[in-house]
Amino acid sequence: MADAPRLDDLPEPNVRKHRRGMPSAIWIVPVLAVVAGLALGVRTYLGKGPTIHITFESADGLDAGKADVRFKNVPVGRVTSIGLADDHLHVVATVELTRGAAALAVKDSRFWVERPRIGVGGVSGLGTLLSGAYIGVDVGDSEEKADDFTGLEKPPGVTRDQRGTRFRLTSTDAGSLAVRSPVYLKRVTVGWVTEMELQPDGKTVKLEVFVQSPWDKDVTDHTVFWNSSGLDVAIDANGLRVDAQSLATVVAGGIAFEVRDPGAPSAVAAEGASFPLFTDRAHAMTPPDGVHVTAKLRFRETIRGLAIGTPIDLQGIRLGSIDDIKPGYDARHELYFDVTASVFPERLGAAYASLVAENVGKTGAETLQTLVGRGLRAQIRTGNLLTGQAYVALAWFPRAKPVTVVADAGAWVIPTEKGGADELQEQVQDIVAKIDKIPFDAIGEDVRGATGAAKGLFTDLDQKTAPEMVKTFVQAQGALTAMRQVITSLGDNVAAPDSAIQQSTRAALEELDRAAYSLRSLADYVEHHPESLLRGRAGGPEPQGSTKESRKGSR
Amino acid sequence: MSTLLRARDLGIIACDTCELVMRTSDVGHAHEDELVAACPRCGEPVRHRKPNATARAWAYLIAASALYVPANMLVIMKTVQFPSKRADTIWSGVVFLWSHGTWDLAILVFTASIVVPMLKIIALALLLVTSGQSSRWRPRARTRIYRALEAIGHWSMLDVFVVALLTAVVQLGRFASVSPGPAILPFMGVVVLTILASASFDPRAIWDHEPESTRG
Repeated sequence: MADAPRLDDLPEPNVRKHRRGMPSAIWIVPVLAVVAGLALGVRTYLGKGPTIHITFESADGLDAGKADVRFKNVPVGRVTSIGLADDHLHVVATVELTRGAAALAVKDSRFWVERPRIGVGGVSGLGTLLSGAYIGVDVGDSEEKADDFTGLEKPPGVTRDQRGTRFRLTSTDAGSLAVRSPVYLKRVTVGWVTEMELQPDGKTVKLEVFVQSPWDKDVTDHTVFWNSSGLDVAIDANGLRVDAQSLATVVAGGIAFEVRDPGAPSAVAAEGASFPLFTDRAHAMTPPDGVHVTAKLRFRETIRGLAIGTPIDLQGIRLGSIDDIKPGYDARHELYFDVTASVFPERLGAAYASLVAENVGKTGAETLQTLVGRGLRAQIRTGNLLTGQAYVALAWFPRAKPVTVVADAGAWVIPTEKGGADELQEQVQDIVAKIDKIPFDAIGEDVRGATGAAKGLFTDLDQKTAPEMVKTFVQAQGALTAMRQVITSLGDNVAAPDSAIQQSTRAALEELDRAAYSLRSLADYVEHHPESLLRGRAGGPEPQGSTKESRKGSR
Repeated sequence: MSTLLRARDLGIIACDTCELVMRTSDVGHAHEDELVAACPRCGEPVRHRKPNATARAWAYLIAASALYVPANMLVIMKTVQFPSKRADTIWSGVVFLWSHGTWDLAILVFTASIVVPMLKIIALALLLVTSGQSSRWRPRARTRIYRALEAIGHWSMLDVFVVALLTAVVQLGRFASVSPGPAILPFMGVVVLTILASASFDPRAIWDHEPESTRG
């Protein structure tokens, strides 16, 4: 160990007192770590909102952990898991809402799965095509918290932040309408169809439309809705008219509404008010039809030109239309057609009212009998010569054979008259046939012969008769002169006062006067003594005095 | 050499920086915490043991375990890979990788991000407990554990680097993007604190209670 240095020779370290720092300062580190860890945990916990469960028919497109919940397209939560419901018919999506979205979990909030939906009216949810489906939410007004929801199968037509009113429409046919089809007022979109549902009886379609504020005030009890889908083509006296609300309605359909008589007082319709949905504007704008009567007509002629919907017309007023045409064959081996039609007599307006007033207390059939008695008949008439369309006219035929109306279970059985066109045709044929039978050639020859004879006659008259006539006139003139002389002398004889005729006439008149006096006395006597007619004259020379005596005696 | 002596037993100490060997007669065991000795040549503090080693290691270890919980519970990485979006904790990431067939990656992530930090914490706790109890249980094995800890420590930030790198590189707007989640900070804390804890630990403490005859 010679080379080894002695330990005592080694230098010593410089020793100084340790700075009294904070020996336990190191413990700040774990404290800080715990605080930081707790803070993170607490923040994460607080950042979590409520967990809710939403029941859907199907989880199509939803991915647990991936699909989020969006309110107005702002993510407010996430689907954490998807499982089967207890009934094995539904799926339950467990959703973790964010802290700020806790207010969404109220009782009347609505949830639905937003998927890409492509309709003619537009494309919605296109974003979900790439991002996958998400759950949309429409927050409710309720204050009551809830954590179990039943999801909607399709997005709600109206979200709660949209101001407006919903109305119900009833239609027999949905046409080309669909949910989200537009609703037009004066060709401006003011709403849309929110729901469409075929009624369980399969007969009517119930629609719900949403009209945005402030135009929902235009929906009053006088408002009419009609299906404005497609083109409205009308050929009338003004020519061809093609009408459409907008290009979109031609393809996608739509509903239009309008106030029928804007002047009339009206009340704004309430939320959920029901309206009929008319097939077109013309139908919608006609006044309400009122009572509906079934009319039965039997035609024994061609019904060419009639069809279901063919109008029944009374002197130009469309009273109804044909519902049904049934051919029949009767015992007389004749083909006939039973036409059933719907008639709305109230379309006659005031005329119908006064007809009803006139026949108070009578049944409909009796009233009809009165009308038929006056000659009311139905007749097929040609409405359009080009297309051959016919209509059924109700008209008066005063010379029609009287018919008794047979009541048929409340239906009006209106007798028919042979069609105007057929009858006219027959009559024209008859006339033509008669004209054909006239022997115009023979008549012409006869006329010519007669003319020749007449000519000879006139020549004779001219040459022979005329000179004789002149002679006759001269003789007549002589005779007249002689006659005048006779009359003058006669006047002289009769008019003189002392003429014989004058004298004898006066004498005759005096004699007559006397005779009249005697007759009067006789009449007087007989009046007072009627018995004298039987017994002869009694006593007294003074008929008048005796009369007085006898009167006194009798008293 | 049947006698196994420590420098301390001879009363000498070496400077870690300039390797000057000094006498330590005055630097007693009892006063080690109160007196600071410095190398007379280079001025570097000299000591037999890292001061306060056990307490420091414990403090870091406890801090690391406290942060281990949020690091694993919270979302560590958010990815947008059009059309889907994901927010993954470490565990859900492992499950995702496993369920998508990349089980090798899943095992890698599981090992590197869950098992290793946990093992580090457990191993350090074991070392601290055994040395604190003056245990004589398999000192060589414990030393090997410590060496392994030190070696792994260099790689512990790998996960954090991966997230940072992906965040920087994958930024394709709506189509693909990666962003770190709230768990990345506690995870980083776990890594840093375990490195600090293992650095604070003085492996010489493993051997301090060995009887002289068995040392070595």
